[in-house]
Amino acid sequence: MFLISEFVVLLTTNLILTKALGTSTLFIAAGSRKNLLWIAITITAFTTVGSAGAYLINGMLPENFTDLRLLLYVLIIGVLYFALLSVLYFTDGKSFGTTRKYVHVSAFNCAVMGTLFTISENADADTSLNNIVSFIIRGAEAGTGFILSAFILMAAFKILNSKEVPAAFRGFPAMLVYLGIISMAMYALV
Amino acid sequence: MTNKKRPLLEGLISGNTVLSGLMVISPVIVCGNTVMNALALMYAFSAITFITVMIGSFIPKRLPYGMKIVIYAVIASIIYIPVKAAAEEFFPDIIPRIGIYFMLVAVNSLITVQTEAKFYRMTRGKMTASLILHILGFDAVMLIIAAVRELLAYGTFCGRIVDADILISGLGAPFGGFILLGIFCGIYRGIGNAMRHDDDVSGGDGECF
Repeated sequence: MFLISEFVVLLTTNLILTKALGTSTLFIAAGSRKNLLWIAITITAFTTVGSAGAYLINGMLPENFTDLRLLLYVLIIGVLYFALLSVLYFTDGKSFGTTRKYVHVSAFNCAVMGTLFTISENADADTSLNNIVSFIIRGAEAGTGFILSAFILMAAFKILNSKEVPAAFRGFPAMLVYLGIISMAMYALV
Repeated sequence: MTNKKRPLLEGLISGNTVLSGLMVISPVIVCGNTVMNALALMYAFSAITFITVMIGSFIPKRLPYGMKIVIYAVIASIIYIPVKAAAEEFFPDIIPRIGIYFMLVAVNSLITVQTEAKFYRMTRGKMTASLILHILGFDAVMLIIAAVRELLAYGTFCGRIVDADILISGLGAPFGGFILLGIFCGIYRGIGNAMRHDDDVSGGDGECF
């Protein structure tokens, strides 16, 4: 029962299906299993560690300077971006040329930045969520939600790109309509 | 259209940021449900993207790719501050409704991806023209989709009640945005295919004209 309720929570709070955050990245991720694996891992790393950084910044930032949040969050993601690229370079130098593209795709996009802002917004509205553990858990949840959405899209990816779909709607347009229908189902669950 | 004009007009029609590249679609799907929201987002997107890309073009080319992307994002985040301050004067009621999407336009794909992939490979004059057309392409799609959604979902236009017989309230929700944008993408491709008299265009790559 716990797993089912957690699964429902993951679906209903899913940032892609409810807020369309990271939809373009999702389309790239769902293209192949390899893409999905690497992009999902890097996005989850960015959202989880980035959320901890966002918590620290929120705590230090005076109320009158909230417009600086974007700049400071960008700097957090920038630092993580360099850290991840450095780790990949020094641990897996041979395939660095291949793996770095996933880091490029995952760093500055709506999925990651939107997660940091959404978590902070929720914490501002509900003070019980304003602690570092909650930020990290929600950051990890957002990454997991991205993986879940990518699997949902992957399940229909071949059909939506097949010749059975009219040429004009084949690919992206069909995927958007498909995501819309899934999103509508989530809307009904809430 | 001549071959010389085609690459420049690409951003407006054939390589439209939203309909062809499927970039910056989150604000269109979620906030593009009223014309006033659309105007506020168009203003933010246009101002931040144009100023950032123009300033970013002075960043030395020899810097590593990753470093340049971070610098562009930092420039956009700094530009965001005065842009938001001005937006609060022009759209005081709209900004809270748009919420995080106003900030998210500052890290849009035209800045973090297309700068290095496209704009900075052009001469400055061509880059400026292409950038303006890409921005106008986004603005046009945003405005059209928002107008259609507002009319069909709420029976209003710019907040004024119009005589609409049928209301489809779901079109105002994000799922309505997904579905309508998908339909618009399909129509856009269909028109592109018809114009080329080419029925054998392969799908999935987003390019259709």
